[in-house]
Amino acid sequence: MSFAKKKSPRAKTLIALHLLLFVYSLSGLFSKGASKEPFFSLPFVCLYAGMLLILGIYAIGWQQILKRLSLSLAFANKAVTVVWGMFWGWAAFGEQISFLNLIGAVMVIVGVVLYAWIDGKEEKPSDPVDGDKWLVRGRHGSPDVGGEGADA
Amino acid sequence: MLEFYVGIYLVGVFVSSVSQVLLKKAASREYHSAVREYLNPWVITAYAMFFGATLMTIFSYKVVPLSMGAILEATAYLYITFFGVVIFKEKLSWKKIAALSLIVLGIIIYSMGM
Repeated sequence: MSFAKKKSPRAKTLIALHLLLFVYSLSGLFSKGASKEPFFSLPFVCLYAGMLLILGIYAIGWQQILKRLSLSLAFANKAVTVVWGMFWGWAAFGEQISFLNLIGAVMVIVGVVLYAWIDGKEEKPSDPVDGDKWLVRGRHGSPDVGGEGADA
Repeated sequence: MLEFYVGIYLVGVFVSSVSQVLLKKAASREYHSAVREYLNPWVITAYAMFFGATLMTIFSYKVVPLSMGAILEATAYLYITFFGVVIFKEKLSWKKIAALSLIVLGIIIYSMGM
């Protein structure tokens, strides 16, 4: 990964996105933890609430990211959650990762990134964000963002 | 045993995807008041489905490894594409079908390694 000499706003947004995806990956730890408790016991409710809190933070953060980055680039980066899921499963719950697991995971990640990339190339008039550039330049100075929210 | 719980997980991903579509539909409608924008049948149904989906995920995690969760989550791209074509009238290119096939093949190979 080579970001430009000076950190661009886009690089900062990407770092923020990856911090957010890391936080999101923690929700899996709470879900898996909750699954080991009896349904609706106190530990279950606490872990479930923790998971919902993380998902809430993630939802708000994701909306903020999408103001600065195209949906397709955000989704392409989201593929990293596959890596986090495997890491947490291994690190926190001692799950074994087989060779076929690794091959399959790489295929899924490549497939997701390709899907997002293709989706960004195929411009849809209904999309609020110009996916072609994999970047939103913000409300100001982006004349090519059509329609939505173009008031005042 | 694992197959059953994987099935529950996949149903959860599907239900969650449907809830996203409902939210997108709700967002594109016009509302007379801010309360109506959040408290209407579409949004309430969407959130009810979302909560249901999270409970399905937790139930399936009794058996499904956490490491497999994010892999199964990738099936959402199938549903998103399907709803995009059927409901939002987006066109489906061969390139996208190829990418989706790669995702599905990856999930199958991952499952074979369990």
